[in-house]
Amino acid sequence: MTEGAHHTQDHSVAAFVDTHTEYYEAEFAKIQGKTGFTISWNMMAALFGPLWGAARGVWGYFWTFLVLELFALVQVGRGLWGELGADQLERYERLAANIARREAQAAELAAVGDAEGAASKLKIAENLRDAAETALEAAQMASNAAATILITGIVLLVTVKVVEGLYANYAYEAQYLRWRSVQKGQIGVRWPSVLFGLIGMIAIWPLTIVRFTVGKPDEFLATFTGGLLGGRLTISEFPVGKEYFTVLAKQGDVGFDWLANNFGDVFDGVTAGIRWVLDGLEVLLIQTPWPVVMFVTVVLALRLAGMRVAIFTAASLAYLAFMGLWELAMITVALIGAGAFLCILIGIPLGIWFGKSKRAYTIAEPVLDFMQTMPAFVYLIPIIAFFGTGKPPGVLATLIFAMPPVIRLTALGMRGVPETTKEAAIAFGCSKRQLLFNVELPLALPSIMTGINQTILMALSMVVIASLIGAEGLGALILEALQYAAKGQGLLGGLAILFCAMVIDRVAQGAYKRKAGSNA
Amino acid sequence: MDDVITLDSVWKVFGENADVAMKAICERGLSKAEVLKEFGCVVGIADVSFSVKRGEIFCVMGLSGSGKSTMVRHLNRLIEPTAGQISVLGKDMLSLSESELREMRARHIGMVFQHMALLPHRTVLDNVAFPLQVRGESKSRRWDISQKCLERVNLIGYDDRFPSELSGGMQQRVGLARALASNPDVLLMDEPFSALDPLIRRQLQDQFMVLSEDLNKTTVFITHDLEEAIRIGNRIAIMKDGRIVQIGTPEEIVTRPADEYVRDFVEGISKLKLVFAHSIMIPIKDYKPKRLVNFDESPRASHGTDLDQLIDIATSTENVIVIVDDDGTDIGVVDRATLLKGIQGGKA
Repeated sequence: MTEGAHHTQDHSVAAFVDTHTEYYEAEFAKIQGKTGFTISWNMMAALFGPLWGAARGVWGYFWTFLVLELFALVQVGRGLWGELGADQLERYERLAANIARREAQAAELAAVGDAEGAASKLKIAENLRDAAETALEAAQMASNAAATILITGIVLLVTVKVVEGLYANYAYEAQYLRWRSVQKGQIGVRWPSVLFGLIGMIAIWPLTIVRFTVGKPDEFLATFTGGLLGGRLTISEFPVGKEYFTVLAKQGDVGFDWLANNFGDVFDGVTAGIRWVLDGLEVLLIQTPWPVVMFVTVVLALRLAGMRVAIFTAASLAYLAFMGLWELAMITVALIGAGAFLCILIGIPLGIWFGKSKRAYTIAEPVLDFMQTMPAFVYLIPIIAFFGTGKPPGVLATLIFAMPPVIRLTALGMRGVPETTKEAAIAFGCSKRQLLFNVELPLALPSIMTGINQTILMALSMVVIASLIGAEGLGALILEALQYAAKGQGLLGGLAILFCAMVIDRVAQGAYKRKAGSNA
Repeated sequence: MDDVITLDSVWKVFGENADVAMKAICERGLSKAEVLKEFGCVVGIADVSFSVKRGEIFCVMGLSGSGKSTMVRHLNRLIEPTAGQISVLGKDMLSLSESELREMRARHIGMVFQHMALLPHRTVLDNVAFPLQVRGESKSRRWDISQKCLERVNLIGYDDRFPSELSGGMQQRVGLARALASNPDVLLMDEPFSALDPLIRRQLQDQFMVLSEDLNKTTVFITHDLEEAIRIGNRIAIMKDGRIVQIGTPEEIVTRPADEYVRDFVEGISKLKLVFAHSIMIPIKDYKPKRLVNFDESPRASHGTDLDQLIDIATSTENVIVIVDDDGTDIGVVDRATLLKGIQGGKA
């Protein structure tokens, strides 16, 4: 017999609802005794609606019915005092004034004897009159709809009240079950909750109702408050212009100019460094005769990733060559190659650091998010200010966008090295350096390789954006196609970038898989 | 015999306020629960002292959370103690510099882990050679030594395989070979066989016992299995809540448990091979036979005969068994009742 269990539950219901215990005990028992829907009417909830929810701390109920009742009340308000068709009426008045002006002009012209001019003015007035009548009709129809809207509103309000009354005990019972398991939350009726509910309703209802039912809400509010707040209190839009924005933007300009003027040498140094890497790669890829580059690339693909990738590589290179995109493609590869190289050079040590130091990673995480999510155009502007235009700034923009993956995945890999393995290595007398190179990096390698791969692909996706600040290559080709709506050119250029990306990706993946395969 | 490892009232308190908590423990003698409540610190090991002699296998037995794995990590300073003295091979471990400590770990202290902790990207041979690589031996030399170590643990022909290709038992033999590679004086074994299935465990235990007889290494062997401790250990320390409850030979632990906790452990252990004649016999001068007994007809047994053998003797004679010492002098008597009591585990 569940007599005992029932008994304790009854006690907990009483403890939870605090007041009207007998009513709620009975209703909860009714709800829990039925599998389907059962009618459980809560008069207080139906009468007070959201306020009942607030008082009992059922906040989901409070917010839901706050909005639903508000919707119904707006309809009622619109039906009762809303200036329906006010905009049409306004249009009619404007047109009527226009007509009167034209007629006056016509009269004037007739008076000086210009019959032709007067006739044309009258013609215009006649045309306007048609439009004015349509507007008037629409306004009348709208105000005739007032009764329908009012009835709809009332029906809606009653429906909402009925739903409130029927749903309240279900919501409250669910709340009670949650309370039973976590033993946290409001018990019974609490006056601070009622107060908060009231404040919420006062803050939300009147302004919203005014906004939707009064023709000129801002003026209505100004007269209603008796000009106490002047004409400045507007609810249809936030009463602030661009004044703050302008001041801050100007400050930003000044700050960037100051940096550009005072740290020019630093920026020039960075540019020189990037150019150095870039020049090296360009010499290698562009000035080396194309047969040599092609041969080496295909052999590399064959050795590192196997026959299939080698065939695909050869086909991609043939495409680039026959489309006459060879040099552009090599410029692009040099650009992203430089970008990816620098990303890896900087990213892996940073990743190792972040993997080891939790604090450093906590600080770096938002910066990494910022680098990845900030639209590229935003940092293109200061990059131009500091570094000018051309390829090195393009590489720099690529760095910002493409570095986070290799940092994140290196850190992830470092943190994934089992503590027990590290402990064993230390127990055999490893120094920190030996631990890093013999244990941590090898075990983190799969993750690091994934990071490098992602970084390369993200660098490729920056090609077009980098061309915006003057980096040449396939990106510039596509940018040009965009400017002249040259569909064919855009497609061929896009394919060229795609093939570059796929060759690099497949060769790198294949190389890594082969190595991993021979290990496992 | 000299002491190779000595611990003198070693404490480990985990947590941010460990030093403050340690001071409070010294001054006010707080309990583990009080330390946790007052300072938010966990007492890992408390006032542990013992010493291990050269060539001895010293087993530390305790349930999980008793601090035995924490304790063994103090011996090569993988964990720094909060208080106390630790000396290994006559060196004060706590005063070693970073590089001296590495030297100590690489040359003198080998360790075997419960979860093997092999390097997955290295072959079996390179795993075993790892400690030698760390201390800078040439490739050919470390491969020579590693090969010999793998032969020692009966793992031949797997040199160029990767750990993932080996079974658990084989992996742990690689772990053992790795610990032996640097030919250390001290072996630390942290539940080396716990993760293996019972049959393999027994095999490895036997293999290890043969091996350690050959090598004569000073070993600290951690286990949660009292039977394993009894099989392997020369002496056993039993830990509970970070403290050592009892230290003794297997026979002492089984026949004279220090408290209820140890008694509970010992209860299910078979005493046949652990209890010897001298601990159950009635001294000859106290023996008061109910009827006249002629000792001359009685079989003789050495005082070191275990219960198992005593049962064999008892079943072949009607008489009581006379126990003799090393010189052959009669020192005691075991009759049926005494023998049955001894098997039961009651006091003799």
